[in-house]
Amino acid sequence: MEDYFSYTNKLFDPSKIKEKPEVFKGIKVLDFSHVIYGPVAARLLAQYGAEVFKIELPFVGDLWRFGVYWGKFWKHSSICFHFVQYNKYFLSVNLKLPKAKELIYKLAEQADVVVENFAAGTAEAWEMGYSQLSKINPKIIYLSCATYGQYGPLRFFPGWDLLAQAASGNLSLTGYPETDKYYKLPDYLGDYLPGNVGALSLVMALYHRKKTGKGQYIDLAQSEALMRILPNFTYFSITNEELERVGNTDPTMAPSGIFKSRDGKFVALAVATEEQFKALSSAMGQKKLATEYKDGFDRLKPQNARELYRIAQDWVSKKDSAEIVDLAKEHGFPVAEVMDDLQIANDEWRRQRGSVVAFKDDMYRELVLPGPSAMLSKTPGRTKWLARPLGYHNRYILKTLFGLSEEEIKNLEKERVIGYWDDRPGIKPPVYYDMEQDTVFNYQGNGKEKSHG
Amino acid sequence: MAKKKEKEQVLVRYGSSRRERQAFLANMMSPDGKPEVLDGVVVLDLSYANFSGIIAASLFAEFGAEVIKIEPPEGDPSRKITPYGANVKGVGIPFLMEARNKRYMTLDVRTEKGRRDFEKLAAKANVLIETYPAGQMDSWGIGYRQLSKNNPGLVYIAITPYGQYTDRAKEFRNLPDSDITSQAASGLAANIGDPDTSPEPYNWPFRAGAWLGWYISGLEAALGGAMALLYKETTGEGQMIDVATADAYASLVGYPVLIGYTWEKARPRLGRHDFTLYPYGFWKSKDGVVAIAAPRDHDFRALLKILKLWKIEDDWRFTFDRITDMLDQIEVLYGLIEAETVKYTSDELVRKALEYSIKAARSKWRGGGVPIVMKVQKPSETMQNPHWEIRKSFQKFDDKKLGKFIIPANFIKMSESPPRVKWISCDIGKDNDYIRKKYLAG
Repeated sequence: MEDYFSYTNKLFDPSKIKEKPEVFKGIKVLDFSHVIYGPVAARLLAQYGAEVFKIELPFVGDLWRFGVYWGKFWKHSSICFHFVQYNKYFLSVNLKLPKAKELIYKLAEQADVVVENFAAGTAEAWEMGYSQLSKINPKIIYLSCATYGQYGPLRFFPGWDLLAQAASGNLSLTGYPETDKYYKLPDYLGDYLPGNVGALSLVMALYHRKKTGKGQYIDLAQSEALMRILPNFTYFSITNEELERVGNTDPTMAPSGIFKSRDGKFVALAVATEEQFKALSSAMGQKKLATEYKDGFDRLKPQNARELYRIAQDWVSKKDSAEIVDLAKEHGFPVAEVMDDLQIANDEWRRQRGSVVAFKDDMYRELVLPGPSAMLSKTPGRTKWLARPLGYHNRYILKTLFGLSEEEIKNLEKERVIGYWDDRPGIKPPVYYDMEQDTVFNYQGNGKEKSHG
Repeated sequence: MAKKKEKEQVLVRYGSSRRERQAFLANMMSPDGKPEVLDGVVVLDLSYANFSGIIAASLFAEFGAEVIKIEPPEGDPSRKITPYGANVKGVGIPFLMEARNKRYMTLDVRTEKGRRDFEKLAAKANVLIETYPAGQMDSWGIGYRQLSKNNPGLVYIAITPYGQYTDRAKEFRNLPDSDITSQAASGLAANIGDPDTSPEPYNWPFRAGAWLGWYISGLEAALGGAMALLYKETTGEGQMIDVATADAYASLVGYPVLIGYTWEKARPRLGRHDFTLYPYGFWKSKDGVVAIAAPRDHDFRALLKILKLWKIEDDWRFTFDRITDMLDQIEVLYGLIEAETVKYTSDELVRKALEYSIKAARSKWRGGGVPIVMKVQKPSETMQNPHWEIRKSFQKFDDKKLGKFIIPANFIKMSESPPRVKWISCDIGKDNDYIRKKYLAG
């Protein structure tokens, strides 16, 4: 029989992804969302083949177009924005105007999914809420993302990822117990994780619709999604004690922690089971250690865990990190070197796997960005194009989807129903790029365009 | 008169404080008597000492699948992975919390007989979740390539630290998984902790205080699995899904990869500060800690007004004055804000910000800013908030065997087919008879 890894290398071969089918082919998504939390849910559908129409205000655009690290734009755009918006169509219409509303209602007739993440009730006030769109299209699946959800006394309370972390209890959990300092979860994890939960709810709703033909309304609260991942509530309800900041260790595993090795590298080490504890003991050359503790629960008692932490810290500090990793492979206990941004971006394994992809874009040229979190052998996720300047797909969509003529589009432009960028970075194209030559932006529908996507 | 009526209508649409609108929504989202999405889908959970698999299985179970947890007779070691060894009759807290709507069967796939039974089960299953070393199931003759022959619609989810393909996956296949190593390998730990200038060990990479490596991996496994189920519904074809926990964080948030590539260096750790937004963090109050987010210029102006700090507006007016690349400078602003926040209690600060936002939203000009303040809550404080009670975000149990406990549940509200927790149980082999009769008879 063929070697397992040569079989799987073929099964998941990243170079074959383009030839494979897409799960959400033909699914249309109307995306009113902005910043990260909502857009990520829509992006995940786009990553796996849905057509996502991102609606933005002319000359204003998504706030996250300007969300840059330390004020640094990349080719007049935000890399963070690219990551949450790729594969989408960028339509810029002024929803205040009745004509724009008509356009969006027409789009809603064809759409399968709607995503929004305004404060509770805002979409309804704009007449784009579930109660209005479900009248136009009863089979629609409508996802409302808010920090506290659509009902309950906190519903109008505005929020960012940080506030959801605070309200869900997450913000009080990371740090050293004896200090007055808390660390937040970095990189807007409080948006990304609930956004992925949102995508899960959409896939489930699509599955339900496939079976029953029914659409539905989904009310996703960011804070609730973050509460779902904490055992701290259950712990409190059983022990009546607060499980709070614990320092640089995992209280569910002993020993466990992030330690410094002899060569100055940081190594995470953990022991989750008795088998792994035996493995670590023999790797450390202290086999009798394995017999000192009755069982896993005994090992985890605070004083024992502290003692084991000390032993592990001591052991790691006397070895090079490469030695520790080799011993872990040989004996079988969890170890990993701490990887920083640069190491991750250049990691050979991630490149081979397709977790880090050097993507070539028509407009922005090369950008190295993450691949999908889960690799699907038959219907893998993929990147087709990066984010585009504000209103880039206006013409393309109005012509292909609504069959408008050039004259009608020019009238809409004149009436400011649709619009484009101004000179600010974030919403405009890169300087070197010639918009005149762009066949998607200047879409004529005469068959001379290169295919998009 | 007409104007007043119009105003009222807006309030109704906004979901005003009117009880009817609230009750309507609460009722709309109630799971009572509604169908389940994955009704009839059979999921086998073979995960071993790995919560990513257990969590993925839980998500399927909450959406209505029949999830069968398969364990060796001595039980999955995950049962003993618990904070400080806290347990209820030998079952750890995380395992108890994730024991949602599951069936339990003892079956030892390490033995020949166990594998024969397992093959029969897998022929009837829709989804299989496993966390054994890459290639282990295959060498037992029950891997994806063997099982998919009898059951081409099978969705096979494998979760390991380094995945099922590539040279690294082969080399590291025997390395077991844990949450903290996943956090470290996927770029999370490197971005938590104090700046270089702080003393050791405070400037070391730091572990996030929740199982983010495992929860992200479990969620992504379930998301991939759900998509594969949808694809199978259309074409009848199953597939294999590979989740690498060493990649969990980096692929979810993207920043480590994007920054590593565009900056050609790693970010330094910034302690309590954020890279993109400021103020965006936590400050001390008279009686605790509050999280404050007022990063946009108009939010920041509003915050200064609330804190009576307008005199410093000139120095910090623009977002570009508040970039955190000069830590000394931003610490000055931190101190200026803190000197004011400690004068008020957390509740006072929350109320002040909210009152300002409401006033600004009502003003003709808008653009008044939305400074947001939220109390940093301990988990037990979160539980007491009436908001979550109304939304039924916590579910109470009073079990004959397991006693009283609370779990976070109902985290997705859906009007037609919401997920729900029907029962919690964790006895090893509890459903052996039920499963053998239903799936293995004959």
